[in-house]
Amino acid sequence: MKRFGLLAATAILALAAYSGAAEAQSCPIKIGGLTPLSAPGAVGAGEGMRAAMLIAEKDINAAGGILGCDLKVIIADTEGLPEKASAMMEKLITQDGVVAVGGAYHSSVGVASKDVANNRKIPVVFAETWNDTITGDKQKFIFRIAPLSSWASSTLWQAALLVPNIKKVAILTENTDYGIPAAQETSKGLASGGVEAVTFSVDIGTQDYAGIVERMKAEKPDYIIVLATGEAGYNFAQQAADAGMGPQDIPFQAGQVALESKAYWENVPDGNFAFVQRIGTPANLWSEKALALNEAYKAVTNRGVIESYSMEAYDSIAILAQAINEAGTTDGDAIVAALEGISHEGTLGRIYFPYGTKKDPSVDGKGDEWWHQWPDVALTMIQYQEEGQSSVDAPIVWPDAYKTGEPIYVNQ
Amino acid sequence: MEFPHIFWGVFGWMIFWAVTGSIATRYFYLRRDLDTSNAPFVGAMLGASTGPIGLVPLCLNTPELTTRLMVMPALASVGVLMIAFGFADPENFCVANGSFVASQIVNGLIIGIIYGFMALGLTLIFSILGVVSFAHGEFYMIGGMITYFLTKVWLPGINPILAISLACLAAFAIGAAFERMFLTPMYEGKVDRPVEYGILVTFGLAFTIQYFVQATAGANPLKASRYFDFPRIRLPSSADPWLIKTSRGNMELFETISISNPRFTAAVMCIIVFGALMFFLHRTWTGKALRAVSQDREAAAIAGINPDRMNMLAFALGGMIAALAGAMLVQAFSWLPQVGAIPAMRSFVILVLGGLGSIPGAFVGGVIVGLFEAAGTGCLPDPQKAASYIPAYGMIILTLTLLLRPTGLFGRRFATGAHGKF
Repeated sequence: MKRFGLLAATAILALAAYSGAAEAQSCPIKIGGLTPLSAPGAVGAGEGMRAAMLIAEKDINAAGGILGCDLKVIIADTEGLPEKASAMMEKLITQDGVVAVGGAYHSSVGVASKDVANNRKIPVVFAETWNDTITGDKQKFIFRIAPLSSWASSTLWQAALLVPNIKKVAILTENTDYGIPAAQETSKGLASGGVEAVTFSVDIGTQDYAGIVERMKAEKPDYIIVLATGEAGYNFAQQAADAGMGPQDIPFQAGQVALESKAYWENVPDGNFAFVQRIGTPANLWSEKALALNEAYKAVTNRGVIESYSMEAYDSIAILAQAINEAGTTDGDAIVAALEGISHEGTLGRIYFPYGTKKDPSVDGKGDEWWHQWPDVALTMIQYQEEGQSSVDAPIVWPDAYKTGEPIYVNQ
Repeated sequence: MEFPHIFWGVFGWMIFWAVTGSIATRYFYLRRDLDTSNAPFVGAMLGASTGPIGLVPLCLNTPELTTRLMVMPALASVGVLMIAFGFADPENFCVANGSFVASQIVNGLIIGIIYGFMALGLTLIFSILGVVSFAHGEFYMIGGMITYFLTKVWLPGINPILAISLACLAAFAIGAAFERMFLTPMYEGKVDRPVEYGILVTFGLAFTIQYFVQATAGANPLKASRYFDFPRIRLPSSADPWLIKTSRGNMELFETISISNPRFTAAVMCIIVFGALMFFLHRTWTGKALRAVSQDREAAAIAGINPDRMNMLAFALGGMIAALAGAMLVQAFSWLPQVGAIPAMRSFVILVLGGLGSIPGAFVGGVIVGLFEAAGTGCLPDPQKAASYIPAYGMIILTLTLLLRPTGLFGRRFATGAHGKF
């Protein structure tokens, strides 16, 4: 009887293990892709990220897929809203059965959805969410390839401090988990250089900036920094230009959305001489992989050039695919172990995560936010110096390591 | 704010007397069996502006509550608040910088006129059909989209006026077709809950239009080029143009007030069309028929007016007005399939503020919201909060209106959706 019980238990365990393995490797293997596809999210950016993630799916499947299966990227619309992001993460995991999640544009989306993924042991590689706390909570299943907000902000204020005779900076920020900390870090950095900062925060859906522009004008700033995502960046830049406060009037750093040069020139025809922060390796140093992605992306989206956030979205899917292949399973713990030891040749450069369960950031004197954080994101500042110029052709004016041209400071 | 205790002290005093005045006035008017519909508003405003000095005679004499008695204390309350603010924050741009104040007022007026115009369409639909169209923002969006595609993609070089007219015609046709196909069951007794049906079906239209445009036009922000350039004007002289100076895209008045070309042309167009609409409603047979239906459907039908036809005309006209606002603003704002959401929300606020179904109320309500937003953005001491609260300013006015004058500025006491004052 005892022997029969043992045999029965062994059979049940074997069946469970078999069914678990079969479930883990059921084809196709699904990875979630978070992206904003409806207002008030940055819909244009979201569509670009979706296109890039679907190109990643196609490329990975063309190269043999994952664990012998096809990859299927399940796109989920976050609308740029935290509550929608949590719901979408829950849906991806519980209804769609994804084994990992990539993408995401807004920091608030990352902040809200990371706990859901971590609690359900689903690895996430966030593509374009900057808020420090996303990795700062040191959650096992959360990784990021976008720069930290504090780090990205430092490039903003360091570049600003190079503007001749600068005394006062006006910052327009969105009141989100990305905008508020980024504005605070930037203001702090400017203060360290003896420069005063005045911050104006707005809702992400704001269209009319006339009153804000007038108030900003009354502050008499020497430089303007825009930390607003989506079309808000375009609306503000052109309305500021209409009021004599645009990129042709005073040194002006436009929002990152200005990297989509075709849309930028259509929406901000008076936007020449704007500075724009760019994430990732400069175009003149792009690898074959990045160049191929750019061509595929342009063909799919009809855009002038691929934006940094779309490259990040592509890499977030590709790195997860590699991690699953290396792990040999879709088990969350195994994927995390693979991600912690990964070396992925992405479109943004070689991606790896030096800090995690094996090595705490504090060992190297770094803060918690460096947990599962890719440390080599290239941050540069370009400047449009000709009307209609592509962001790829625009010279890099900062930092010196990547510099391809001198900045032009208008109104000096 | 340098002396916050001054401002908050005065504000607290005003709130106290406003609440007291609102309750006391209603009580005294009720006791004498007088009309109390405007008593809380007048009591609150008189209490806020004068305290017991004005309130006591009002309660004792209970005079007839005329328009003057409503407007004057309201303006005085605003004045008292402004004076307190001036003493509390003397360094504020709204106190110390005259040209800034002038610019903000002009900005508020311009955007308020556009808001008001947008709300007109919603008002027209509500007064005739008795439903709030939740697709109003989408008509605004398609007006801009069609104008953009006409002027920049399909027929580059087309006269902008013609493009705008075609966009308006398209919106009119969509509105008319939708009303015939989906709204007729409302007044033919085919649905149990016509008002709820109207809301749901216009919601459906909103989603259909929005996602259809997103699928066909994409989600990248679009923007039309400026329709007209300002002529070069330098007055009183080229050497010293202190009165007015124009460039192609901008106009400067008194060397202080700067108005961008797209906003200016949009506001002027809105005023012209508002005038034309008022002429249509008051001087033409069809306009009078519309007004008649808004006042009493049955009586209008007895007089030979076909109310069903007026329903179609009102819905189509309302959509066309929103489309015209969109067509004028696509040269000012970046345009997306979702661009109508915020203006539609504002229109709902203005609809209630102006008085459900009142066309002059919608226009005045729009201007008030525009000015209030400009004041909030410009004067709130913390710039970080000033701009963040833009969506809240309209809601503050709405809340105050609902508290003190639930019928809105120009609404009638017993107005319902289908019977508001025209």
